[in-house]
Amino acid sequence: MTSLGTPIQGVTLYSFTRAFHARQYDLDGLIRKLASEGFGPGLEVIGFSSLRGFPDRIDDNFVGRFRDLVAEVDLVPTSLAVNVDTGIHRDRLMNHDELVEYMRKQIEVAARLGFPIARVQISLTPDAMESLLPVAEKYGVTLALEVHADQHGAHERVLALRDRYEKLDSPLLGFTADWGATVAGFAPSLLEAYRRRGASEDLLRQVVDLWNGFYAEGPPNTQKVHGERFGAFIGLAARNGRPDLGIDFGINGTGLFGPAPLDTWLEIMPWVRHVHGKFFGIDENGEEPSVPVRDLVRQLVENGYNGAISSEYEGWHWNNWQDPFDIIRGEQAVQRSAAANAGSAMITDATDARRILNSHLAQPVRG
Amino acid sequence: MIADRIIEQGTLTTRDGRTAVEVRIPWYRALPGSCIAGAALTVDGVAAPEDSLRWTMNNRTFSFEELVDETGEWWFPLDSAVLSGQLPVQDDQAEHEVRVDLKLYIPYIITDHGVLHIEEHDTKTMKVAQR
Repeated sequence: MTSLGTPIQGVTLYSFTRAFHARQYDLDGLIRKLASEGFGPGLEVIGFSSLRGFPDRIDDNFVGRFRDLVAEVDLVPTSLAVNVDTGIHRDRLMNHDELVEYMRKQIEVAARLGFPIARVQISLTPDAMESLLPVAEKYGVTLALEVHADQHGAHERVLALRDRYEKLDSPLLGFTADWGATVAGFAPSLLEAYRRRGASEDLLRQVVDLWNGFYAEGPPNTQKVHGERFGAFIGLAARNGRPDLGIDFGINGTGLFGPAPLDTWLEIMPWVRHVHGKFFGIDENGEEPSVPVRDLVRQLVENGYNGAISSEYEGWHWNNWQDPFDIIRGEQAVQRSAAANAGSAMITDATDARRILNSHLAQPVRG
Repeated sequence: MIADRIIEQGTLTTRDGRTAVEVRIPWYRALPGSCIAGAALTVDGVAAPEDSLRWTMNNRTFSFEELVDETGEWWFPLDSAVLSGQLPVQDDQAEHEVRVDLKLYIPYIITDHGVLHIEEHDTKTMKVAQR
């Protein structure tokens, strides 16, 4: 029998995008703020969002200051999110060798900064992941490919990756499970944002009904179905005299709120090295109304998961009327409560988190 | 995304027929010059001629044609870039309506229709900044 997991509480700076972009906090200030709020000990960063000059111009001086700060505020680096910018050239996609070198540079920075995981993205094929394995080994960094809407744990692309991982049998290849794949309802805060843009209650009811219908049908297993669903949101907006909202409905309805059942995670659970606790808001009862946070935490605990859960608040795209710090505080309380209800606990102490993360991951990062 | 912050309030300047405004990225992460695919600058309904537009970031100035191959300079989320064009604007106490349109490629999202691009715009009203 699997012993109960003890997930590590954490947060990604992505949750505070609006405050950072508004220059309310610089990088140091934001890290100090989340440490003082107790949102850690896990700290996740997106390289291209937070690190000026990433990855080519990250010098040793910056690396030293970053490591000193993280040590001073007693946080634990969990994952550096890196990007697979295949389309960076206007006239062509990157070739294989360019891609490997592009990723190598980012993974090297992850190691130097002390991040044991690099979050990579779904456009990496099983062949590309195999090519990157020597890079992962060189730097001692686990590559955790992100699975989120419109994919899910049982999607054919994800299963193909899993099968290659199984064949390669390296503990350095795994997944980041993003809860955006297994959402159970259209976020009420987004409906409120549309309301503020003048959408009628009748139209919003139809949007919810359409999404609920897709939820009942299950997740799209082909690109064709995905495209049809996108088109259905656009058609709905047009029929209701709000064509300006159609693409927004489509992007959010199909790209953010993935309607996969929770048990799809079981397909890849042994390879889940990191979790994005994706969520969109907290309601007046202190609960997440569209992401089944309690069930997701229970599932992780019952499957013996000992990695980090980075709270990843994405409602900032549209919610400019509530404080993101309050919202994240609320969501982490739900996570801790859910872990306790499952008979375990979230790890909130940095020393415990370091010890548990070290045994959860295969080898120490070589920075 | 963060389209409402594209134009930095109070940064409209004009000199010898050229007009400029500071702009912020409406996206959460840095993008290289090659992904900044186009822009338009319009003041009081008059657009600057396309071939006169220039983009300044990291203290370097580019035409949009030069940006196509630029993967060395990146637009960081905290930085203002400067969009300028040949566009006479009265340097007085009047309020001007400034509009900026931006087209950005998102290089990690490859769709059935190619690399995803987003088109965002922002309009703000301001006087010419006094220097």
